[in-house]
Amino acid sequence: MKNIIFDFEYLAPKTLEEALTLLSQYDEEECKVIAGGQSLLILMRQRLITPEYLIDIKGISDLDYIKFDEKEGLKIGALTTHRAIEKSPVIQKEFSVLSEMEQNLSNVETRNWGTIGGDIAHADPCGDPAVVLIALNAKIKMTGSSGERTVDAEDFTLDYFETALHHDELLTEIQVPTLPPNTGVKFTKFSQIVGDLGLASVAMLITLDENKETCSDVRIALGGVAIAPMRAKKAEDMLKGKKISDALLAEAGQVASEETSPTTDVQASEEYRRDLIKVLVKRVGNEALARAKKA
Amino acid sequence: MSEYSIIGKPTTNVDGAAKVSGEAVYTFDMTLPNMLYGKLLRSPHPHARIISIDTSEAEKLPGVKAVITGKDTPGGRYGLWRRFPELCDQEVLATTKVRFIGDPVAAVAAVSEAIAENALDFINVEYELLPAVFEPLDAIKDDAPLVHDDCDNNINNTRHIEWGDVDEGFKNSDYIREDRFIYSSQHPSPTEVHNSLASYDKGNGRLTVWSSTQSPYYLQLGLADGLKMREGDIRVIKPHVGGGFGGKNSTMPDSVNAAVLSMKTGRPVKIVFNREEEFTCTEHRTAMHLAVKIGLKKDGTIMAKEFKLITDGGAYTALGATTLYLTGTYATFPYKIPSYRYDGVRTYTNKMWATSVRNFGGTEAIYASETQLDRAAHDLGIDPIEIRRKNAMTPGYEAPGQYNVGSCGLLPSIDKVEERIKEKWTDLSKDEGVGFTLFAYMCGGIFNWIDTPYAFSGAMVKVNIDGTVDLFTQGSDIGQGTNTVNVMICAEELGIGIEDIRLHPADTATTPVDLGAWASRETMMNGNAVKDAASNVKKKLIEVARMKLGENIVYDLEVKDKRIFLALRPERGFSYYDIVKDAIKLNDGEPILGVGHYTPHRKGMVSPAWSFGSMAIRVKVDRETGLVEVKDVIVAHDCGQPINPLGVRGQVEGSVHLGLGWGLCEDLPTDNGLILNPSFADYKIFRTRDMPQIELHEVPTYEPGGPFGAKESAEGAVAPTSPAIANAIYNVTGATFDSNVLKPEKVLKAIREKEGKEN
Amino acid sequence: MKKELKFVVNGNPYDIWVEPNTLLVQVLRDELGLRGTHRACDSGTCCACTVNLDGMAVKSCSILALQANGREILTIEGMANGAELHPIQQAFIDNWAFQCGFCTSGQIMASNALLKENPNPTREEVQLQMDGHLCRCTGYNMINEAIRDAAGRLQAQKSQEKTK
Repeated sequence: MKNIIFDFEYLAPKTLEEALTLLSQYDEEECKVIAGGQSLLILMRQRLITPEYLIDIKGISDLDYIKFDEKEGLKIGALTTHRAIEKSPVIQKEFSVLSEMEQNLSNVETRNWGTIGGDIAHADPCGDPAVVLIALNAKIKMTGSSGERTVDAEDFTLDYFETALHHDELLTEIQVPTLPPNTGVKFTKFSQIVGDLGLASVAMLITLDENKETCSDVRIALGGVAIAPMRAKKAEDMLKGKKISDALLAEAGQVASEETSPTTDVQASEEYRRDLIKVLVKRVGNEALARAKKA
Repeated sequence: MSEYSIIGKPTTNVDGAAKVSGEAVYTFDMTLPNMLYGKLLRSPHPHARIISIDTSEAEKLPGVKAVITGKDTPGGRYGLWRRFPELCDQEVLATTKVRFIGDPVAAVAAVSEAIAENALDFINVEYELLPAVFEPLDAIKDDAPLVHDDCDNNINNTRHIEWGDVDEGFKNSDYIREDRFIYSSQHPSPTEVHNSLASYDKGNGRLTVWSSTQSPYYLQLGLADGLKMREGDIRVIKPHVGGGFGGKNSTMPDSVNAAVLSMKTGRPVKIVFNREEEFTCTEHRTAMHLAVKIGLKKDGTIMAKEFKLITDGGAYTALGATTLYLTGTYATFPYKIPSYRYDGVRTYTNKMWATSVRNFGGTEAIYASETQLDRAAHDLGIDPIEIRRKNAMTPGYEAPGQYNVGSCGLLPSIDKVEERIKEKWTDLSKDEGVGFTLFAYMCGGIFNWIDTPYAFSGAMVKVNIDGTVDLFTQGSDIGQGTNTVNVMICAEELGIGIEDIRLHPADTATTPVDLGAWASRETMMNGNAVKDAASNVKKKLIEVARMKLGENIVYDLEVKDKRIFLALRPERGFSYYDIVKDAIKLNDGEPILGVGHYTPHRKGMVSPAWSFGSMAIRVKVDRETGLVEVKDVIVAHDCGQPINPLGVRGQVEGSVHLGLGWGLCEDLPTDNGLILNPSFADYKIFRTRDMPQIELHEVPTYEPGGPFGAKESAEGAVAPTSPAIANAIYNVTGATFDSNVLKPEKVLKAIREKEGKEN
Repeated sequence: MKKELKFVVNGNPYDIWVEPNTLLVQVLRDELGLRGTHRACDSGTCCACTVNLDGMAVKSCSILALQANGREILTIEGMANGAELHPIQQAFIDNWAFQCGFCTSGQIMASNALLKENPNPTREEVQLQMDGHLCRCTGYNMINEAIRDAAGRLQAQKSQEKTK
């Protein structure tokens, strides 16, 4: 079987400050940060990533937390495991879409050790958390030696396995604003094997007006159909301010599919991925709408 | 049939405690003192001449103890069709040219796996690239590059099977249809990768090889041929094996290279494939183009069938030639076909070679046959279950000059599944449909292309003074439960308990030959050998008991529940343990030995018996995405007398799982000979959430030729799943498929094409 | 450069030095000789190598050995109580929940974590939590039954202990 056959220096900082100091000491090409390592170790075993210095931040317990406050919203430390998010009572209650997404992410063994920060920083274009966070209007906080900054989730992933993080920064916190009243959020990914990596995925947030008639806000996030998780803004514009119907959702799905730039690979063709977006936008939209009406 | 003490009763696995506590030793877990680790350097090109190989840099690396290339090997050629030396086309390491991406050209032995792997980068091979051919229809053309220079048109093997007058049969048919199919390949993907540990004895020049193999004997032969050694100087031991599914019958590069490296270094050498090598460089199912023509009367009676196929054999022969034969046979199963003609061609291509995989030859043929039959039924306005019932094989059926069917529970199995469909599936939604298919499978093959002079299976029973038994047999348990079946058969035959028997399996030095675990032969052939050996012991014990009773020779004695007694007066008898002591005393103090064997005779040309069954699958089709969900499965299965119901159910469940994967999501797409999805992340296998529950009904029959009436269990159940799914989708949407692996994109396309045609 | 790894495995404390590039599964199999934990893939997608780390089911091929520093590991070798099999192990035997047995250690360790968290799971709950485990032999249903049978046995064992 494949092991890691190249040598590297292993550094295990105990605090965020220590970690940032180490990061700034080494060049981008020579060092890599590992959290849960559920994605990284596979790449290291295949010799696709071969750092000389590995900075293990998994032990920084200060970054493992879930906090919720009606005003401030949800704050998740970067080193919170997927499993903790899946099982968190407050997330199940207030942001059920997150725990639902986590329940179908990879498998329990991965979720027990892998972290949400590690997942988003890895920036797989199929990655589920990033898609859901975009729909939730989340912000990603990054901390470097020069201070903190936040970016919108949709601006965090730039390209395949490339993010807005500067070399000397770590992703430290995910901030999800409290959902406005009359809001429903739903995420679905499509795969032939249940729970597998999705061929395409959609997360939608729909906020209805106080009469629960028209859509006052909508966010449509798509995964697996571009170089990074994306928003389907044209499709959103079609729905904003309107009464959402099946027909309208179908149109929005069509428009959303045209906003994508999927590729053909061994799993599916780009046309099929576009077809999936059409169908998923319609179905996910209906479910988000139903949730918004109940909220 | 008298009531059995052990046969037919749910029995837990004799290796159970070892397997659940991590103590079962697989080759993967083995090490020996002073052991080295081996790795193979493989060709990156599908077809190339080897100009030169420079191993000097690699040899200098610290920790590297040997680097070998083709010229360092004994130069023997090997293969499984030993009756035809020209088909023994494999070498330990490629000497003149490489024929597929992954063909090994060099091997390294080093003190650690990491060093061995690293050393591969230091071996320099100069290749002259040659044009390559990947598609069988291209390979047979006159201008195609030759994979083997001495093989015209890349035709590796052909097969013709015929009976009756096919042309007359078509003339007398009211309805004729022709269909073409492409069956694409899948990978067996056992959880334990191929791996071998070889240890060469410097003193006596003998070799011992532990390997994750389905057939220690076949491996022994391959090693002997490849290494130009006497068979008897090679000992192959099969530890526990983490699955085979057909891909571990051949002699593979891990074993032969570990052997040569061990001989060179004087140290044990272990070679373990990684999962990428497992996907790209180990045997997979034979892909093929099939053309089927069937003629029926308007009442649905089959009159004639013509079947042609061309298979994508890959770079070497292995058991691929057997696939050609079996596929042509299975195209007639399980129906009475008065006239039949088959022509099959196996081609060489520049890809990893293809061979047997679970349901050897059946899955491909039955996919085509069962899909076509539904279309014919639809055109003729006949119910798909009815058309099958009409033509189904019955006990004693003979395909003239080809094969005999002994026991056959096919008709009762059809009735059972039909009854359950009507009772259970009363609530089909508009997106749900049912597919119904039949299946049948062989109990091992009667053919002897391996060219063995031995009986097809042998066993030895030794009874010790305290009544404990040592059972020696080469039968290979690769998970299917052969060890447990063998112990059960021996216990039943001797009238003792499972706890009295210690099994010594699968060691070529200490057990008589068994051909291995393929084509579901173990229960029938190995089971019969075990029963034979035990019965020879039983005879000796009975003789001693009879003598002690002083009874007339006409009175029968029986053994049961650890007693040997008069059949008509059971109270008159002795304890088994006492008779054993007496028997040994009377035999000059020698333990009691019984030797047995089995080779099928007067059973036709293909198999001594056949299992049968019916299957219905309920699916739900998502018409917008093409996703097909398998909601429920009903199976009725005839394996003769089930030896171990737990094991039988396990086999059915496993077969259905494989069949569903091979019908829906498992495939091996290639690009210029490169397999594109060589990992479990990209090669999609059903997980627990994808599996439906399976309702299983046994349809017991009695096969006189089988041990206690038993036949093989459930390998047949792999085949009907793919066509059942295709037929179910057809029933829901009208869409038809000319290939298996019905991924959502393909299904959606077919649904749209059908809707387009209608509009 | 080797680094110190102090951890507990099957109740035994270890203080060893390992190269940083060592995976947890390599330490368990090669350093400690605990070969019951198997490996079947190189992509972290089969869960054959599952062990319990601080009570959680994790893939030992996807964790660096040094990340297990200060932690408690339970492997298949730690399940039996002396010569007495754990109820989960016995349930697997009684339900024919393995055939070749190569993935079985991982299945049992995952079941152990599952049943500690959810002592009375439904069929669907078992499926959800065992979804990462690749088995080529059984088709999974008999494993599911074994796990729920084991749940019953563990409950019964607990009641017996309460009444003692």
